[in-house]
Amino acid sequence: MNPFQIIALGVVALLLLLSAVLLVKGWATRRDAILWMLLWLAAGVAIVWPDVTKVVANALGIGRGADLLLYCTFVAMMVGFLMVYARLRRLRRELTLLVRHLAITNAAVNTSPPSPEDDPRTSGSDKAPANEA
Amino acid sequence: MASDPTRKTPALDEAVRADTFVVIAAYNEATCIEQVAREVRRVYPHVVVVDDGSSDTTFEAARRGATYVLRHPLNRGQGAALQTGIEFALLRGAKFVVTFDADGQHRVEDIQAMVAPIAQGLCEITLGSRFLGGTKDMPTERRRTLRMAVLFTRIVNRMDVTDAHNGLRGFSRTAASMIDITLDRMAHASELLDQIRSSGLSYTEIPVQIRYTEYSIAKGQSSRNAIQIVVQYVLGKVMP
Repeated sequence: MNPFQIIALGVVALLLLLSAVLLVKGWATRRDAILWMLLWLAAGVAIVWPDVTKVVANALGIGRGADLLLYCTFVAMMVGFLMVYARLRRLRRELTLLVRHLAITNAAVNTSPPSPEDDPRTSGSDKAPANEA
Repeated sequence: MASDPTRKTPALDEAVRADTFVVIAAYNEATCIEQVAREVRRVYPHVVVVDDGSSDTTFEAARRGATYVLRHPLNRGQGAALQTGIEFALLRGAKFVVTFDADGQHRVEDIQAMVAPIAQGLCEITLGSRFLGGTKDMPTERRRTLRMAVLFTRIVNRMDVTDAHNGLRGFSRTAASMIDITLDRMAHASELLDQIRSSGLSYTEIPVQIRYTEYSIAKGQSSRNAIQIVVQYVLGKVMP
């Protein structure tokens, strides 16, 4: 194994361990943790036996294994971006509903009738502060 | 206030006025909101101001002028603020809801023209149009942008309206209950038209006048924003 493989394998092993911890401690959902672990395992395989990606790539009609990985990365990032965006929209919407609820619950009501200065016949000036006691 | 008797609408009954809620969304409008709310309240007893998380003293100013003042603890955009005001008005038993801009660009006299057709049962929704009315002093660039917006509306919303982004709108109680503005920021105008069309509610355009003051021009949407509004609206359509 060349130095790159050793370093990359170390990193992937750490990430795999981390995902396992998440799963055991219940900090991530079971489905998410297992998906991540599978991803790291696949990465490990691709690092140790790079030819595997080439076989898959050729089967799909792509020349190099590295290209296959590049395309997969691009698709994964786009999907991730859309998921984050959808979540952001949902959060925004929920925040608005919460803010609306607060605003309606805490509405300030002016029970006093419009003050005499408001009478159009007497109010000539622009400023006529209401005297609220 | 300059009254312009170019057009006569019969004055509304006392009962209709008492059932009308005027909803004003205000964001950093401390300089004029009190005056605007007060002018409306002289004629309509129920004036609802929604302070959309302003950083200035809009809330305090609105308290002196309006009947009800609601405060968004965070800024959520004009569409969200209007929806809050409409829901509040419905909770308070409104039979008619009129939305009115905070910057003093609308005339209080125009409100009755917005409510009258609904009160008479002629339609469920009224939309103000500055192009049907004799609006003067409209800046050329503003006119051009709005014409584009109308074209956009005719194509995308498939509605034959003359003014797509007028803040003066009237709703019957039924219509107001069916409207649910979810696009928080300015794209809500197109969204609203979508909902009106798909709900099958009857609507009429009402000629109104806009007062283009230096203040209302400065506070208004810039033409550059128009692009943003279109993008936001389209994204709102494709994303759930």
